[in-house]
Amino acid sequence: MEPLGEVLKQVQGYIYPNEVELHWSLLIVVYPYVTGLVAGAFILASLVRVFNVKELQPTYRLSLLTALGYLIVAPLPLLAHLAHPERAFEIFLTPNVHSAMAMFGFVYAWYLMVVLLLEIWFDYRKDLVLWSAQEKGVRRWVHWILTLGATDLSSKAVRFDQSAGRFITIIGIPSAFLLHGYVGFIFGSVKANPWWSSVLMPIVFLFSAIVSGIALVLLLYVISTLLRSKVVDMLCLDKLASFLFYALVVDFSLEMLDFIHRLYEAEESIGILSQLVSSRLFLSLVILQALLGTILPLLMLGIISPALRGRGSLKTPDELRRLLYVAAAALIQVGIFSTRWNVVIGGQLFSKSLRGLTVYKMQLLGIEGLIVAGFLLLLPLLLLLVLIVLLPPWPEAEAHLPEAA
Amino acid sequence: MPQQLARLLVVFAVFTGGLVVTRHLLIPKTFGQRGHYRAAAVTTIQVRPLRYAGREACADCHADIVGLHGKGRHQTVSCEVCHGPAAAHTLAPVENQLPAPRKRAYCPLCHGYDPSRPTGFPQIDPVSHNPMKPCITCHNPHQPEPPHVPEECGACHGEIARTKAVSRHALLPCTQCHNTPVQHKVDPRLLHPDKPRNREFCGQCHAKDAPSPREIPRIDLATHGGRYLCWQCHYPHMPEVD
Ligand code: HEC
Ligand code: HEC
Ligand code: HEC
Ligand code: HEC
Ligand code: HEC
Ligand code: HEC
Ligand code: HEC
Ligand code: HEC
Repeated sequence: MEPLGEVLKQVQGYIYPNEVELHWSLLIVVYPYVTGLVAGAFILASLVRVFNVKELQPTYRLSLLTALGYLIVAPLPLLAHLAHPERAFEIFLTPNVHSAMAMFGFVYAWYLMVVLLLEIWFDYRKDLVLWSAQEKGVRRWVHWILTLGATDLSSKAVRFDQSAGRFITIIGIPSAFLLHGYVGFIFGSVKANPWWSSVLMPIVFLFSAIVSGIALVLLLYVISTLLRSKVVDMLCLDKLASFLFYALVVDFSLEMLDFIHRLYEAEESIGILSQLVSSRLFLSLVILQALLGTILPLLMLGIISPALRGRGSLKTPDELRRLLYVAAAALIQVGIFSTRWNVVIGGQLFSKSLRGLTVYKMQLLGIEGLIVAGFLLLLPLLLLLVLIVLLPPWPEAEAHLPEAA
Repeated sequence: MPQQLARLLVVFAVFTGGLVVTRHLLIPKTFGQRGHYRAAAVTTIQVRPLRYAGREACADCHADIVGLHGKGRHQTVSCEVCHGPAAAHTLAPVENQLPAPRKRAYCPLCHGYDPSRPTGFPQIDPVSHNPMKPCITCHNPHQPEPPHVPEECGACHGEIARTKAVSRHALLPCTQCHNTPVQHKVDPRLLHPDKPRNREFCGQCHAKDAPSPREIPRIDLATHGGRYLCWQCHYPHMPEVD
């Protein structure tokens, strides 16, 4: 429990007794942030697969593995938040179709099993078969098990892999929209909460997800390439930055639309919401989310990336451009995390009486504390490392069919 | 069928089979019989001891109070809200005495001023509303009516009327101390009511041997306050002791 006395001293105006303490803590901020990265990384992969954006090929497998690493972690913050995580599986046994929250398990299972694992499996199957043939020891067995015994490498079978992969990606795009649109839906459908209740919520979530996913893969691509002392493919990076810019423009416009709409509608909640924004959320919304997380990266990307003009409005040496891209992507991560914070925490800081504000005292230790949240944000990267070792996504690791076969 | 598809189908079949089997094993038998819950839970809850009896149960023995309560403004506040769970009391009243919240601190739980209460809900400021005394000295908890305050003078002497209304002298009509000719209300400047003139006036009620109700505090008229008039020290419309 938070030190209630401390919180009470900082409560402003009138609030109901059960609103003093926040029910959804930092972990619930981590959850939409992580699912957003999954959806975003997957949509990036589908740009290569479905929309044939050739320049992005070097990031294709990396973004799939990133999506998988984060997807495995996505339910963990929710489980850690539950008082009885061991009962969570019951939502699979006795599904309640009238509850959006109870449907999460199914949205998740569909996305994990039908979309992501299958797509990765079809994409890697040929390599798995070849790797298991060439390798020794544990790796050989692991790779062999992963083939599920489907070792047919005839050109017909390989062609089937490709068309199946393409087909799954096509299903995958609406599924990724579903996964993250769903998270927005959960918030948007809370009609008692004027900060959340908005039909735009799923769409805003979705585009911010795409933004964060692309930015993450950009970061991971640059870092992993440098760590392997390879050359960063600037063509690919420029393309990534352009897509990042487009997604950011849409995301920003939607946020502004939502904002202006609220101001114009000026419902009775507008007073307390503007008080919220100008006091409790000033740092995380105005400074972090809007200025540093959106407008600054927009300017950076707009000027140096080739998104608007053939080779960028400002010609920059590759080295510098790379650095600026990385900086913009890092800023965007901070910005999107703040976005999640502002939605989840912001939505609970004001009273339903619309007459007062409370504060959120973050815990350090404890299951809902900062340390656990930090761990949950690191865990996907560790998983990604394991996945990369297991299924190297680099072009040079790709096994080639012997010409004769 | 391509080999891949066949293998995947096996995996999915195992998964689905596993789900079907776990569902069969883990879902309680009575789940879904009456709704999205375990029907047997109802019987589990049924066997728990009853603690509340409900308002009707009181009528057998406290018919007068139930009748009073049913007519008053507290009719929506059930007996057991104030007296606590009473199931045991209805079975063996003498062995299981119920508490009655006679303390002053109790009523402001609902009536203390609080902006979140619905508009029009009767509220008072516990600090200034007739302080020190239990609320039930003036309000019957089973049929709370604000005691009627003579209001007619308040039309013109609002400030005094409002002050007096929350004072210890609340229940004294103005005319107790001011003999007021009817004409005063029509033409106030022409005819003035009188005002108490001496210490004996207040002594009618406050003197040691005055024939007034017992709860009125007493002073020794001969010595208390020396030779000053009482209202040189006590404001008569809000008599305070400190
Ligand atoms: C079977 C008859 C019976 C029923 C039913 C009954 N009471 Fe009583 N109640 C009594 C008797 C007898 C006393 C007096 C006990 C004593 O003074 O020893 C009493 C006393 C009380 C008192 C007095 C407490 C006090 O401090 O003076 C309260 C309050 C009370 N009852 C409330 C209730 C309520 C509320 C109910 C309904 C839920 C109820 N009773 C139902 C018989 C009953
Ligand atoms: C708003 C709170 C409240 C409610 C509601 C209420 N009571 Fe009481 N009751 C009191 C208080 C306070 C006393 C003490 C009165 C006193 O000592 O003068 C009391 C006293 C009593 C007594 C003791 C006899 C007496 O008059 O002193 C009985 C019996 C009783 N209540 C029964 C009931 C029953 C039956 C109901 C429901 C019909 C009920 N009460 C509802 C507050 C309440
Ligand atoms: C559980 C909450 C609750 C408690 C406790 C409670 N009351 Fe009430 N009271 C009410 C409600 C509800 C009303 C009716 C309001 C209405 O009609 O709008 C009411 C009405 C009244 C009124 C009538 C006001 C008017 O303007 O007519 C008085 C006086 C009153 N209560 C006094 C008391 C006293 C004295 C006590 C303590 C013995 C008490 N109340 C305890 C809820 C409560
Ligand atoms: C000295 C007698 C006295 C005491 C003690 C007393 N009241 Fe009153 N109360 C009154 C009078 C007189 C009124 C009517 C005043 C008015 O109309 O302004 C009243 C009015 C009220 C009202 C109605 C207010 C409204 O706006 O309708 C409530 C509620 C109330 N009292 C509750 C309480 C509570 C609770 C306590 C105990 C904390 C208490 N009273 C103590 C005399 C008293
Ligand atoms: C129509 C308005 C009105 C009403 C009703 C009214 N008064 Fe007055 N009263 C006045 C005015 C005006 C004065 C001041 C007269 C003056 O200064 O000449 C006054 C003065 C007084 C005085 C002071 C006399 C003095 O000598 O200083 C008293 C005492 C008094 N009123 C008591 C009462 C009482 C008690 C009631 C109700 C029974 C009452 N009034 C009703 C208007 C009214
Ligand atoms: C307990 C007796 C008492 C009651 C009850 C009482 N008064 Fe007075 N009132 C006095 C006394 C004593 C004075 C004279 C004060 C002085 O001369 O300083 C007085 C003075 C006045 C005055 C003259 C102006 C002033 O404030 O000195 C007015 C007007 C008045 N009272 C109106 C009222 C009204 C209206 C009521 C009813 C709401 C009322 N009084 C109830 C004792 C009382
Ligand atoms: C008609 C009888 C009556 C008259 C006349 C009367 N009072 Fe009172 N007085 C009361 C009552 C009743 C109370 C409240 C007693 C209680 O608190 O239960 C009271 C309370 C008081 C208190 C408050 C005592 C305390 O403990 O807070 C003072 C002081 C006081 N009166 C002064 C006066 C003065 C001064 C006068 C003359 C102007 C006066 N009274 C005239 C009936 C009277
Ligand atoms: C010199 C100022 C003064 C005068 C004049 C005065 N009093 Fe008091 N009175 C006090 C003080 C101070 C107290 C509180 C200390 C105490 O109890 O002695 C008090 C207390 C009281 C009490 C409350 C006693 C109790 O036990 O709660 C009453 C009633 C009272 N006075 C009535 C009167 C009356 C009636 C007169 C006129 C005959 C009067 N007073 C004149 C100063 C005065």
